[in-house]
Amino acid sequence: MKNIFKQTGLLVLILLFSVTSSTEVNAQTNDQEFTYVKVEVKGLACPFCAYGLEKKLKEVDGVKTIKIDVEEGLAYLTVLKSKKPLKKTLEKIVTDAGFTPSSIVFSEKPFTLRDED
Amino acid sequence: MNRLIIIALGIFSTLNVFAQGPPITTETPIMLGLEGNGIRTFGKFISKENTNIYVQPIAIPYNITSKFQIGGIFPFKFITLKGVETTGGFGDMTVFAKYQLYKKDGKAKTFRILGLVKQIFPTGKTSSSPVIGSGLSQTYIGIVMGKLTTKKGLYADFGYNITNKNASDHFLYNFSLGVPLLPHKYPQKQLNTFLEFNGNYVFDPKVHTLFISPGFQFIPGRRVLFETSFQIPIVQNNITTNKTNYMILFGTRFLIN
Repeated sequence: MKNIFKQTGLLVLILLFSVTSSTEVNAQTNDQEFTYVKVEVKGLACPFCAYGLEKKLKEVDGVKTIKIDVEEGLAYLTVLKSKKPLKKTLEKIVTDAGFTPSSIVFSEKPFTLRDED
Repeated sequence: MNRLIIIALGIFSTLNVFAQGPPITTETPIMLGLEGNGIRTFGKFISKENTNIYVQPIAIPYNITSKFQIGGIFPFKFITLKGVETTGGFGDMTVFAKYQLYKKDGKAKTFRILGLVKQIFPTGKTSSSPVIGSGLSQTYIGIVMGKLTTKKGLYADFGYNITNKNASDHFLYNFSLGVPLLPHKYPQKQLNTFLEFNGNYVFDPKVHTLFISPGFQFIPGRRVLFETSFQIPIVQNNITTNKTNYMILFGTRFLIN
């Protein structure tokens, strides 16, 4: 009987260890698998017209999140690193949405948004 | 002749509100978001000395590109002469095209100018009494301009309306100032207020009408907008009978895709 308890306890410990290790690995993978993009969009002056931009940016291959700051005229994208978009692709998307693209910055770390300050 | 002028004034008092975007009763040069692929409809009640009119148009724009938009306006109109039964039906249909002629974008601001052409077809019935349609083919050629920042929007449109038969041509002009009452965030709620002026000048005989139109607009999310406007006449020159008392508009716009 004691053996059964010992074996079960050992199994639980092994399981817990493997889950913890796996979570850490996943966290490391998540940090490393995304590219963060900040697009300065000129002409973005109204929330009601930002929808068109958001819709077009969703067409970017591998995009995970999009956040738009109308006051600053900025769009923030989180994109799979393996599908990092070309600068000229993003410029075309912004132009097709009816706006004028300005600077485009790629980063390995997330940008700090104003709301998160 | 007087009948045609009265009909034309009635038609144009509703045409002013066929503008496509925020602002409410003025055209907008921004053909994006809700102005690009949104359907617009509103109910407009027009109170006149001897008549009450209710108009319910449905406006459907479609962006060919971000610079070029086409669309149609399909109005239903109900007219009640005081003491007489209501007559209603499909009104005069409009098709329109907008093309962006100039654009200057800056950080959180834009200035745009469009060319606008409308063709109004006499699809409304003229056999009833009172008549629902004008019985006139009309062509409108105009300019739409606007300067928009996150603090305010200034819009203006003006144009010449050519009519066939014996009806006089018109010059239409609208001006709008819009101010957001909430911080500009996306996609958070928006509340905007507008002060607009809607003018119409008929050349022969010389008839001038000008309305002042305060309004509010509420945008609860990405895809829908609600708006209301109250239009009060401040100029009604050379109109002796059936002057407009006021007009009220309640409307919505929503994105279809």
